[in-house]
Amino acid sequence: MRTGRLKLFLATAALVLAALLAACSSEPSPAAVETASAQEAAPSPTTVAEATATASPTAEPESAPGTLEEQFGTVGGIVDPSNFGWPREVEGLNGLVSIPGKPERIITASIGHDEVTLAVVPAARLVGVGAVSKDSTYSNVAQAVQDIAEVSREPETIIALSPDVVVTSPYFPAEGVEALSKAGIPVVQTELRNDPEARVAGILLMGYIYGEEERAAEFAAEVRDRFESLVAVTRQMSDRPLVLAMTEFSGTLWVAGAGSTEGGVIEAAGGINAAAEAGIEGNQTTSLEGVIAMNPEVIVIPQPVEFGAEEFLASLFANEALSEIPAIRNDRVHVVESKLFTTLSHWNILGAEALAMMLWPAEFPDAPLVPFSAAE
Amino acid sequence: MLAASIAALQGYRQTAVATRVVIGSAVLCLFLLGAALASLSLGPVNIPVGHVAAIALSPLGIDFGSFERTEQLVIEQIRLPRIVAGALVGMALAVAGATMQGLFRNPMADPGFIGVSAGAAVGAVAAIAAGVTGLFFLALPSFAFAGALAASGLVYGIAAVGGRFSMATLLLAGVAVNAFLSAVVSAIVILLPDTGALRGILFWLAGGLDSRSWEHVQISAPLILAAVAVIALQARDLNLLMLGDDEARSMGVRVGLARPLLLGAAALATGAAVAVSGIIAFVGLVTPHVIRLALGPDHRVLIPMSALGGAVFVLVADTVARTVVQPAEFRVGVLTAFVGAPFFILLLIKNKRRAYSL
Repeated sequence: MRTGRLKLFLATAALVLAALLAACSSEPSPAAVETASAQEAAPSPTTVAEATATASPTAEPESAPGTLEEQFGTVGGIVDPSNFGWPREVEGLNGLVSIPGKPERIITASIGHDEVTLAVVPAARLVGVGAVSKDSTYSNVAQAVQDIAEVSREPETIIALSPDVVVTSPYFPAEGVEALSKAGIPVVQTELRNDPEARVAGILLMGYIYGEEERAAEFAAEVRDRFESLVAVTRQMSDRPLVLAMTEFSGTLWVAGAGSTEGGVIEAAGGINAAAEAGIEGNQTTSLEGVIAMNPEVIVIPQPVEFGAEEFLASLFANEALSEIPAIRNDRVHVVESKLFTTLSHWNILGAEALAMMLWPAEFPDAPLVPFSAAE
Repeated sequence: MLAASIAALQGYRQTAVATRVVIGSAVLCLFLLGAALASLSLGPVNIPVGHVAAIALSPLGIDFGSFERTEQLVIEQIRLPRIVAGALVGMALAVAGATMQGLFRNPMADPGFIGVSAGAAVGAVAAIAAGVTGLFFLALPSFAFAGALAASGLVYGIAAVGGRFSMATLLLAGVAVNAFLSAVVSAIVILLPDTGALRGILFWLAGGLDSRSWEHVQISAPLILAAVAVIALQARDLNLLMLGDDEARSMGVRVGLARPLLLGAAALATGAAVAVSGIIAFVGLVTPHVIRLALGPDHRVLIPMSALGGAVFVLVADTVARTVVQPAEFRVGVLTAFVGAPFFILLLIKNKRRAYSL
């Protein structure tokens, strides 16, 4: 009996050793890391999906076609680009949706959609927004929506406002979409993305849904021009610095890798995303040691000050182990406006402009950021 | 003759216990050392083993070769405190698990039975939701620890209402308080609009040892080591308590003192561990079972070996967690559950088959 137990004990110990060896063998060599990083840092191929369009973060958007029909003809999700009358149909992520007439009462249940909507239609037509859209910590349009009714994910709160259309993200519960549809309210789920083509496509699609094609086309051109004028300068830069977007919540470090909103902002501003270079996809956690390995030349902290951004910054400088990181050694760590770096709307172009001022002060002298035009 | 036989039997048992402790300690210390060395040399920053050795020996005045200053800082300020914190957490959870299983005479018992983990979760989640974690260093572990002690105190208080303590009431009170506190956590999560805080909560609940520093070690080590020492010293009483209160009393155990002492020490160890690491699943359940299967149920062996075994388990899991997707990190709590649950099921099946074959 005892011998059996001892065998089991030794077998357990062997299992522990095997796990350790597995951990040892999983460590890639520095050369392998460099190779993998270089491959993964390459822009991803452009794909076009329903209701969205994607491209690599710094890829140029296609030049705007001439007529409205031509412009809207390139937008995924518009069923008949020649139909500017009512009813009109769009193919949302939740399927085919028919919009019977020009919506005068609009509800958007996602912060990015609120930001785009307010650029395309006057605030008076927006009758309901999510709670986060009213919070200036996260929302770039908090001031504009303060007097608008607040809705939750509970369909009843939306039905009570009698909207003509609801536009929301893919994260809105499917049950809620079904309940609203059964109540006769058209619901369109679209996914906002950070890349230039998808950004413009998102604006045009929402303009089409709202019956504001001309304003949407005008605003899309403004956004496109603003982005183009930024990257026209930043893409000429040599010696682009390794920039790491990093936050800290409850002791856990987060970095923004390839495909993240912050990563798109960094690349548009003329930086190289350090986390993407290290092979990180999307927003992931890392360790202090991981930060050392990424060796960034600039660190940006897109974290609300209310949630300890300044304290986090101070802790980076206080940690002796991080003192050899170029960004810390050269005092190039910046707390930045979180909502400009994390939003999926056109507002993140302002984030890229703010970062460009930090990275390239000669080309982008420090100046107040100019907001985009608003719908009237 | 009888007295001589009993004395001989007791002597034999003492020797058997000592033998198992010595052999078990030797094997587990070897693994702990191996795990610590592997953990020291593995990570996103590539540090050759020779440099690790040179850094380790340099405080002793032994020149084992050159190394870079960054390597030394990574070892001394990042990896070493994390290794020590991980070992302490594993030790605390495993010993607390063994204690709870003994006290409840229930193989499924773990420190969560008396609300420690749920209480720590409420403390931590409330601190994150209120945004006070940035107010001062170690605010989060302080809130978690306070929550753990408050919850376990409440459970114990309910079980001792009217001056008559009942283990059955303790168990039921633990279930009720756990359910209530879990609801509190859910309510906070549902009502919280901030996605950053939600991420913080989610990751705290998944357990992790990232960014753990010497300060974390300093606050947790005295509490954990003291609690483990108390439990180890009470191991004989724990053996006798498993026979039942009356039998334990008849053999000289002061039940009214030993049980709250053991419960308090287990709660203290768990609270200190969870405050540092968040909730790391399965360590308190699996480790004592593995040790028990290998070395028997005697708590004089089980407690110290669980301490070492838990330290090895968490250290290995954390090393894998921080290297498997580097420079990103996996959560150690998720990994211990991924590995611990199937391994535990295998052990149960194997043990059941053996029982049927006997």
